[in-house]
Amino acid sequence: MINISQSILVITLLSVLLSLGSTRLTSLVKIMALQGVMVSLTPLFLKDHGSFGSGAIIFFQIMILIKGLLIPGLLYMAVKRIAIKRDIEPFIGYHASILSGLAIILVSVFITNSLRLTLPAGHDIVLITAITTMASGFFLMMARSKAITQVIGYLMLENGIYLIGTALTKHSHTLYVVEFGVLLDLLVGVMIMGIILHNINSAFDDVDTTLLGRLKD
Amino acid sequence: MIEFIFMLPLATGLTALALPASLGRIMLLITALLHFQLTIMSWMGKLTPAFAKYFSASPEGLLILMVTSFIFVCISLYAFSYMEETEMENKPVFICCMLLFLGTMSMVTLSDHPIVLWIAIEATTLVSAPLIFIHRSKEALEATWKYVLICSVGIALALLGCFFITMAMELGNINAPLTFTSLNTVATQLDPLWLKVGFIFVVIGFGTKMGLAPMHTWLPDAHSQAPSPASALLSGALLNCAFLGIYKTHVLMNVAGLGEFSGNVLIGFGLLSMLVGAIFIIGQPDYKRMLAYSSIKNMGIIAFGVGIGGFAVYGAFLHIIHHSLLKSSLFLSAGNILLGFGTKQVQRIGGIIGFMPKTFISLFAGFIGIVGLPPFGMFISEVVIIIGAFQEHRYICIGIFLFALTLVAAGTGRIFMSMCYGETTEKFQVKEKTLRLLPPYALILASVGLCIWMPDVVYETILHSIKMIGGTIHG
Repeated sequence: MINISQSILVITLLSVLLSLGSTRLTSLVKIMALQGVMVSLTPLFLKDHGSFGSGAIIFFQIMILIKGLLIPGLLYMAVKRIAIKRDIEPFIGYHASILSGLAIILVSVFITNSLRLTLPAGHDIVLITAITTMASGFFLMMARSKAITQVIGYLMLENGIYLIGTALTKHSHTLYVVEFGVLLDLLVGVMIMGIILHNINSAFDDVDTTLLGRLKD
Repeated sequence: MIEFIFMLPLATGLTALALPASLGRIMLLITALLHFQLTIMSWMGKLTPAFAKYFSASPEGLLILMVTSFIFVCISLYAFSYMEETEMENKPVFICCMLLFLGTMSMVTLSDHPIVLWIAIEATTLVSAPLIFIHRSKEALEATWKYVLICSVGIALALLGCFFITMAMELGNINAPLTFTSLNTVATQLDPLWLKVGFIFVVIGFGTKMGLAPMHTWLPDAHSQAPSPASALLSGALLNCAFLGIYKTHVLMNVAGLGEFSGNVLIGFGLLSMLVGAIFIIGQPDYKRMLAYSSIKNMGIIAFGVGIGGFAVYGAFLHIIHHSLLKSSLFLSAGNILLGFGTKQVQRIGGIIGFMPKTFISLFAGFIGIVGLPPFGMFISEVVIIIGAFQEHRYICIGIFLFALTLVAAGTGRIFMSMCYGETTEKFQVKEKTLRLLPPYALILASVGLCIWMPDVVYETILHSIKMIGGTIHG
């Protein structure tokens, strides 16, 4: 029997590695959409979360809609409008990035094992995935020069944090209204970042962060 | 319904988008006054939370709400005149974001649920970002980008901290609602290890927003590039709100018996921020950046005071009030100077005493206040913090504290002297206007007034706020 939750997590892990190695921004956005959907599905398939009420079902639908469709859609629009196709000039090369991604997975496994948490069965792989996603988000933010990849890195970080939340806490504490607020913040945040990106592009003719170095002491 | 306090500005803010700027300005002022009235009503206990699961009127929250509301009244008066005299591409957006900013900050002060608090703080980042790049210069864009990205990432870590605190609750097998109030009642059963980890992440996360070094890098850029009313709000009100998140978690740590650990973390960050602020103030060529670094230093003082505990916490709360009043007054004066001279460079400005005598008064009074000289409140709060530190026998910390204060006084003094009395090459552009002078005066007078006579209710609210972490005034 195939364990659904584990396959979802493996897809998430693969999406992280893919995003580290992707050379095109449009494909990076598509990977993020896939990752968003996978991350939103994870809590549904973790066994001990018990049965979900109708409110929860609606919430997860909204979440898949926002993480899988709206946010990637906004990013896609930003990429199209700014007319950049290739994520050129990474500070760290693609192969080196993938290798670092693999190293991050190893470190996450090590961290999860050394925490010695008494997690319910199946949750330790959630934790591994979560830490990997978070760390890779940070890595992506630092290793790429385009401002839009920093937004994507931030999204990955947020996905990782959400996964940690699901792995470590029971859903009885977090109320869906509250989670919806967090999600709304994320959506508005990406929207505002998109607007600033557009303005940066028209002011500097590019969205390279190396151009943003005017303010210093 | 205490939620009106943040719903009102949120609603009027969204309506302002549809209104022309002339009407919007009036609405800004009216909302500010109504908000102030609602704040006073909540102080009198007339308003009760309708959603007690998420919101409550904690004493420390009410204190910061009052400061925010008072400052906002002054700033809205200033903005009323400021918007006429500066070119702004999109005035309705400016008004809308100012009001939404007020709304989200009020929400921070009232929230009781850690994640609602997080949502509100993240929302303040998002609604204040358009305020910073309203002028759309390249520098403003860069500042906004750094602000949004660094703060969002920082605050994301605070969310992680909130999850760890939830986990500490689960490991302790506690079945209580997730609010600060109920957590404080069961604090001793929480798992100490994960509470500590959670606290560290909360401090790093909200500390980014509060401007604690070394996570402060966005702050000087954002505060110097934003239009002056927005800088005054960012510095005078927003930093306090972020502090509130840290303070509430610190209280939780104290009740759980981990106060020493969290106090030491705060002392470390506090002293580092003071030193960083002090070092960058010396020789700072841009006066708005200088004010921003001064905010970093003052946030350091507040974190330090809270970390020391006892009598010093009282000083820290006084410092919050007076820093907000004086710093927003200074940013408004700086806005007048920027309008008058058209430059932020200290070198190119001089002779303010001759060109703008009325602004000179507020600027100079603000300067005296900000370096911690009497008769302004920061003198008292700093003395109280030092006495508190002596009582706790933290002699090395006091040494660093005094060293940083001296550096700041020297650095600011040099800059202010050359601006007020030096020579200038610039042409003088915009005249002084009463409407832009009254708010800085009012803020400074409020600071002096609170030193001479502090209403009993304020005094008691401070005592209630600090009671939980063992803060007293009878050292």
